[in-house]
Amino acid sequence: MTISARQPRSPPTITEDEYAKFCEYFYRKTGIQFQDTKKYYVERRIADRIDKTETESFRDYFTFLRFQASGEELQHLVNSMTVNETYFFREDYQFEALVKGILPARTHNRSQRDPIRIWSIPCSSGEEPYSIALSILERWDQADNWDIEIYASDIDSRILNEARTGLYGARSLQRVPPALLSKYFLSRGEDSWQICEDLRNSIDFSLVNVVDPMQTRRFRNVDVIFCRNMLIYFDDVARRETVEMFYELLSPGGFVCLGHSESMSRMTSLFIPRKFQDTIVYQKPSKAE
Amino acid sequence: MALLRAKPSAPPESLPAAPGDDRASLLANLHSPEPAVRRGAARALTSHPEAAMALCDRLDIETSPSVRAVLFTVLIRQESPAVVARLLVHLRSDDAALRNGTIEALQEMRGTVTPHVRDLLDDPDSDVRIFAVNILGALCDPETPALLVDVLRHEPHVNVCAAAVDALAEVGTPDAIEALEALRTRFGDEPFLTFAIDTTIRRIRGG
Repeated sequence: MTISARQPRSPPTITEDEYAKFCEYFYRKTGIQFQDTKKYYVERRIADRIDKTETESFRDYFTFLRFQASGEELQHLVNSMTVNETYFFREDYQFEALVKGILPARTHNRSQRDPIRIWSIPCSSGEEPYSIALSILERWDQADNWDIEIYASDIDSRILNEARTGLYGARSLQRVPPALLSKYFLSRGEDSWQICEDLRNSIDFSLVNVVDPMQTRRFRNVDVIFCRNMLIYFDDVARRETVEMFYELLSPGGFVCLGHSESMSRMTSLFIPRKFQDTIVYQKPSKAE
Repeated sequence: MALLRAKPSAPPESLPAAPGDDRASLLANLHSPEPAVRRGAARALTSHPEAAMALCDRLDIETSPSVRAVLFTVLIRQESPAVVARLLVHLRSDDAALRNGTIEALQEMRGTVTPHVRDLLDDPDSDVRIFAVNILGALCDPETPALLVDVLRHEPHVNVCAAAVDALAEVGTPDAIEALEALRTRFGDEPFLTFAIDTTIRRIRGG
């Protein structure tokens, strides 16, 4: 028997028109937009998928991608195009929007007896909900006047335990200013800091599969949902179901914050886009039924 | 510190069943005066495919956008030829939101839509034919490019042809170029169509 290795191939050529066609399709399916400056990044990943799927050219690959009924290849492509990394104050303009725009909007003409509810899903290893807490404590001058409940959920029990423990290395903490590091973290050895117990205890971590209605039922009257860089991994119908569930769980006038490359308009028209600071967030209408 | 510890999470299985979770109650709740109750009932009926026609009945009279959105999503999950047939009726609605919701829902369906949409390509109403082309253009069905080329060859209305040209920019293969060139000749006095044809041919050839 002769075993022959597959011949290495030169990277496929992707023309300007093919690139434009691909970007339009990818945006329609995922809401993710690529600027021309990302062309090299996108081309490298397409070339990798062409290689992995053993298609012969961009044209063959695009046809395979476009007509595959299972959508499996699209999922592989999305995974390769997105960076699954989390750290404190990632996309911090949204935390800025939270304290400068969203919370003032949610507390306007509202009784201080009503707690403010914020839900981070997926919370991964906790960087996002702790960043929310730190932003509120440090940057919202009304923080002491309100009761604020922060919920944080993930489908992965292992990562939730990491979030509850709150131990982080330098990479996760790269954007935490030294003053906050010394105020809210305890050194636990070389390259390891633990967030203080008060903050760990202030967040309710829970195991939740977002597409299971039984598991999301207990969340009600939520003011703000942070759901960043999760929906891009869902198919179109699951995405619709999830944002409709958010609509149900939010108070009228409540907000959803998505990842910077995600767009609600690709999923539903139930929410109103609102611009706060440098970011777009999505609001359930105040007079929603 | 302002932050409160939220009440400890109750495991989902310990939650009591919501009132009216049985099928008969859910069907009754589809007609509740409260939109939130109707949404909840529709969502809970996702796991009851036998309720599909009741959901279609509700969609026929539903006016709340949020309830419609949930009904469409559930009907996508319950895709069947019967559901497709009921949805197609709304392509003729005067209500633009209902029409658009219908188009989006049909575009999400996978296996049962093409034969119905193929029939609509012969509909006497050119708007319905445009909607049919819009739906076809988004399907994963490998039959789509050939059907769109067929539209180019036989469709008399310029706007329907333009919709097909637009769809072929994404799904077209070199087989479509001859029909695109012929269309340019047929509608030579329509500059916007000539521009669209040039773009589509360029996209198919890859520049």
